[in-house]
Amino acid sequence: MPTSPASPSADTPDAALSAVDPTAEVAERIRYLDEVMAEIDAEVRRRRASGDLPAGLERELDELFLEFSPVGLQGRARLRETLSLVDGSAYIDIAVPTESNKAVGAYIKRVIRKALGWYMGFIVAQVVKFAWSVSRMLHVVVDHIEILEATVDANRSVDLPTALLPSAVPGSAWWAPAAVDALRSAPGRVVVGDCGDGSLVEALIAEGIDAYGVDPSDIALEPALMRGVDVRGEGVLHHLDVVATEALAGVALTGSVQWLRPIERERLIELLSTRLVVDGIVVLHSTSPESWAASTSPVVRDLAPGRPLHAETWAHLLVASGFSVSTVLAGGGDRSLAHVTAGSADADTLNAAIDTINARLLGVSEYLVVAVRVR
Amino acid sequence: MTAVHQFVPALLPRDATGDHTRALRDAFRAQGWESDIYVEAAHDELSHEARYFERYPENARPGDVLLYQVGTSSPVADFLLGRPEPLVLDYHNITPESFYVGWEEHTATKVALAHRQVAALAPRAVLGIADSAFNARELELMGCHHTAVVPILVELDVDTYEVDQRELSRLTELHQGATVLLFVGRISPNKAHEHLVEALWMYRHLYDPDACLHLVGPLVTPDYADAVFAFAAELGLADAVRHGEGLTAGELAAWYEDADVFVCLSQHEGFCIPLLEAMRAGTPIVALDAGAVGETMADAGILLPTARPATVAAAVDRIRSDDVLAGRLVESGRRRLRDFTSERTARRFVEVLAEVAAIDRGVA
Repeated sequence: MPTSPASPSADTPDAALSAVDPTAEVAERIRYLDEVMAEIDAEVRRRRASGDLPAGLERELDELFLEFSPVGLQGRARLRETLSLVDGSAYIDIAVPTESNKAVGAYIKRVIRKALGWYMGFIVAQVVKFAWSVSRMLHVVVDHIEILEATVDANRSVDLPTALLPSAVPGSAWWAPAAVDALRSAPGRVVVGDCGDGSLVEALIAEGIDAYGVDPSDIALEPALMRGVDVRGEGVLHHLDVVATEALAGVALTGSVQWLRPIERERLIELLSTRLVVDGIVVLHSTSPESWAASTSPVVRDLAPGRPLHAETWAHLLVASGFSVSTVLAGGGDRSLAHVTAGSADADTLNAAIDTINARLLGVSEYLVVAVRVR
Repeated sequence: MTAVHQFVPALLPRDATGDHTRALRDAFRAQGWESDIYVEAAHDELSHEARYFERYPENARPGDVLLYQVGTSSPVADFLLGRPEPLVLDYHNITPESFYVGWEEHTATKVALAHRQVAALAPRAVLGIADSAFNARELELMGCHHTAVVPILVELDVDTYEVDQRELSRLTELHQGATVLLFVGRISPNKAHEHLVEALWMYRHLYDPDACLHLVGPLVTPDYADAVFAFAAELGLADAVRHGEGLTAGELAAWYEDADVFVCLSQHEGFCIPLLEAMRAGTPIVALDAGAVGETMADAGILLPTARPATVAAAVDRIRSDDVLAGRLVESGRRRLRDFTSERTARRFVEVLAEVAAIDRGVA
């Protein structure tokens, strides 16, 4: 939503200096600027829809600047950059500059430098020796870290084939109405992770919720961008990493949340418990592990870095991180075997076996967990 | 007789805090009060107007009120912590250290120290004067019990505003009528110049391929400035981003006059005098809603909720393509400027300090 120009708060001790006076003229000016801002937003949406602003373009600009920034250097580059700063400052030059605007000044400086040279030299030699020892130790540490990183890199999983993943149309999924209901009371901005075509974002906005979406797949985002929906080309973990503490009032999770590797899952829960305000809402949709095993492409199953959890496990993890689980809904089609009709000779035995099979292997295929941050 | 003596880390000519301090002293003296300026360091040009802060005890008298101009770390703060006189803080904001981490560690350390010093002084101050409600909130968070919002005393008289015509011609010739975006402020990470460069790139991509960005301000964080200009070069904007510094008042006025839109995407501003300078020059403003920018600007510009380049570019284009909007913003700017006349601000300073002095004498 466009923002009205802020004005000095009326309760400040110096309200007399405030620009805002209670006149219709001021209200009209503010309304006019709100309209202008709405038109600017509409223009940006039009540009996105027309393809002038490809998904991820603005993020690419930010990332490009980071390449020039010591702040933005990541991982190995940052370590090496910092190490070079240590190396650069480990040498101390005792040849103090003696230039001066006045000839006598330069002479005096040279005399002082010469007179103190033996003393400074002794001290500086020890300082430099210490600095080089520290620098050497840091080189050893960095070398070790790089070996560790190479080992970790070797264990990275490959990208999942997009074509074999379920299509991302969360707005028309069975759980969408329940998600919208749950997020209706979110006290602020809501992000939809793996938002796909943006349909759930639109459904939330239609209910007056201040929502936007993120999805790492530019292809999945295309329909949303064509419609001018506020979506960004990035993964939900990366996005939560960069948003401010307690900046969000709601998070809806689906898609890749099902196959996060354990360390990523831990990170996700940690981020949820810091990026959400107290009373913020998490809505998490997932396939059940049984359904995942039975109905997901074998290629995806084999290459996925992690596996879906049971609803109970998510509930356990969320509660342990300061959430209260308010709802667990099952849905998405029931693949349970029907009971045999009573009356046949072994009906009871067969039905007991069917119940066991349903519970262990079949049953409902998906679930939705709704949790609220309580601390 | 009322005496309000000011303490400031450095008294510099052509510097917002320096000008503010001297103008306040003159306003206090015009009121018949005693008022001197005590400093840690003063520029040669102004050394005759200042005394070294450690000399104050020699001149101290009962009933003195001490006014500290807070802007950076200084031993003056530690000195004032030990003084028994009523202390008033005039807080101009301190940039959070997080902006400097990675760019300039010694500055990060310095501003962190400044924060600690203000936090130590704030609970002991009888009054905290802040030039914006945003700054007043910061003071209150640091433990200041009483605050008043009074803008910085800055001379922005429209009638005495003179543009250096030679500089203006030079600039006009440089960009040959292309759209000019302008920002004025030191080149420092909290000012987010990289977002200005991104906005320029996007504006050229979507609206005007010849547009340029003029940046005026000292290169106070060299590594950051290098990164900003290297970034511009990488985007093919080396010739479109121009930098000016050390300008005379007339030359600075020419840069404002020459610009089509003043764009401020700072992430942290305690007041932002350049917004007022743009208003005086009649340059429409587009600004990110961050820090005190919204309250300083009020309805005199387009206030953006985001610095995303597409939104900034669309806002600039909206002003460029809509004369009515541009005219209304300029008119609002002129109106807003009247809230910051030096007479009005000086009067307000005198009022709040007279109250402090009266309380100290037990007459209030």
